[in-house]
Amino acid sequence: MPSADALRRHLTDLNLTYRPQREWVEGRGLLVVAAHFFSGVGAGAWLFSVALDFDAGLVISAAIVAGLAAPAHLAFLGRRQRFWRAALRPRNSWISRGVWGLAIFLAGAIPYALPAVRDSAFGPVALGVSLAGMTVVLAYKGFVYVASRAIPFWHQPLLPVLYIAYGLRGGAAALLVAGAVAGDVFDIGLLEVIKLWVVVSSAVLVLLYLALARRAGGAGRRSASELVAGKVSPAFYAGTILCGLVIPIVLGALGAATGASRGLLAAVGLSSLVGDFYIKYCIVKAAVYLPIVEDLPAPRRYGTRRAAAGL
Amino acid sequence: MRQGMVIDLKRCIGCFACQIACKAEHGTRPGTVWARVIKREYGTFPEVRRVSLPLLCMHCRKAPCVEVCPTGATHKRADGIVTIDADKCVGCRYCVMVCPFGSRHYQDADHTYFRGREPDPYEARAYAQHPTGVVEKCDFCVERVDRGLDPACVVNCPTRARTFGDLHDRESEVSRLIDERGAFRLHEELETCPSVFYLPP
Repeated sequence: MPSADALRRHLTDLNLTYRPQREWVEGRGLLVVAAHFFSGVGAGAWLFSVALDFDAGLVISAAIVAGLAAPAHLAFLGRRQRFWRAALRPRNSWISRGVWGLAIFLAGAIPYALPAVRDSAFGPVALGVSLAGMTVVLAYKGFVYVASRAIPFWHQPLLPVLYIAYGLRGGAAALLVAGAVAGDVFDIGLLEVIKLWVVVSSAVLVLLYLALARRAGGAGRRSASELVAGKVSPAFYAGTILCGLVIPIVLGALGAATGASRGLLAAVGLSSLVGDFYIKYCIVKAAVYLPIVEDLPAPRRYGTRRAAAGL
Repeated sequence: MRQGMVIDLKRCIGCFACQIACKAEHGTRPGTVWARVIKREYGTFPEVRRVSLPLLCMHCRKAPCVEVCPTGATHKRADGIVTIDADKCVGCRYCVMVCPFGSRHYQDADHTYFRGREPDPYEARAYAQHPTGVVEKCDFCVERVDRGLDPACVVNCPTRARTFGDLHDRESEVSRLIDERGAFRLHEELETCPSVFYLPP
């Protein structure tokens, strides 16, 4: 964007009562949404792959985090060559904790995905390391947003829970697709049941989150309104609600009633993944800051007619 | 010692001299404004005021940008001034997200004032201080403060609406103004304890 336009928009934003958040959602900011989506899906898929003994899933999960999430994070940075500096303050910054989480996860997951290592004495150690990293990767994203007290829509205790839930269901969705493609390599019926449960519970979480956000003052209400009736609503209804909740629940129920085909499971997974991306996009896109000034102290009544009249 | 500023909204006429003085002092790139002035209407008829509200980095005592910076690039000096070390910043923009005052600017592109032309000698020299791919903001003119001078926006304000000084010194002009004129700060509820105070209009 030409600099004059960027400045004009910034100054216009400052004059708005509710200044929209733009840095992490517009232009290259979309990379942050993509990075958070892929890291959630990768970490969630890792957990289910380990639980279901799905060897190909282990490789897919590690590949999603190493090949998509980490590069998306890196590509967003203004100075990629210094990315290692972002790991320097894990005691203070959730971004640093996320960097450590990703590094620990990959340090454990990549060796564990190799059959030779998995079956060796180093296998349990690698698994433990990967699970520790996975926990941080699943959790850190929500806390990154919660730290922003100036954006009431994000400063909600439920947000990390929502990100963890959507990471888990994203992982389950990715494995549904992988399982449908690969054939009967694990108990896909069990995963479908888990997936349906996570989808329904995430629907409840979204409703609860919106209800809490509406109670978080004017800026929180404005964000919730943007989501359900504003500029973000098309993405919210088509992406999050339709693709992420309605289609997976309907197809899941249909599969449970008539017997799930591989095509149906793949459709549930793909639709759910679209929904997972859009919930993250919508939460970031709908965020607005607290007004810079709600109200100034009452003006002094110099020279007003009332003052002149001695009122 | 804690450096701070008091801005008298009754004196501010919204002339943007602070904004221009800041740009001239720091030679910031096109599209970057560290000191801004926004205009707002307040009150209801017939008691309505149009207020010019100068905005800059608030150099908060509990600065959220310092807390969340993953690299330590944003740090607080002993005198309370929050500065950014451009050599450490990775451009993650977390600080931009958490600043309630919109005071931070991400320098995304190598713009010059004259499109399609190489930077002139003034621009080339000035822009060397403003690398791209990092975040920047008002630093209370630390180079001037370290030489015992007031920030450029304070010196150049034609109505003397701005006063700069040590908030910890009870005898300083800023402390006197805060005590006597009922100063307030923006977003007190967030408990960031800004070092910029405003006097009511």
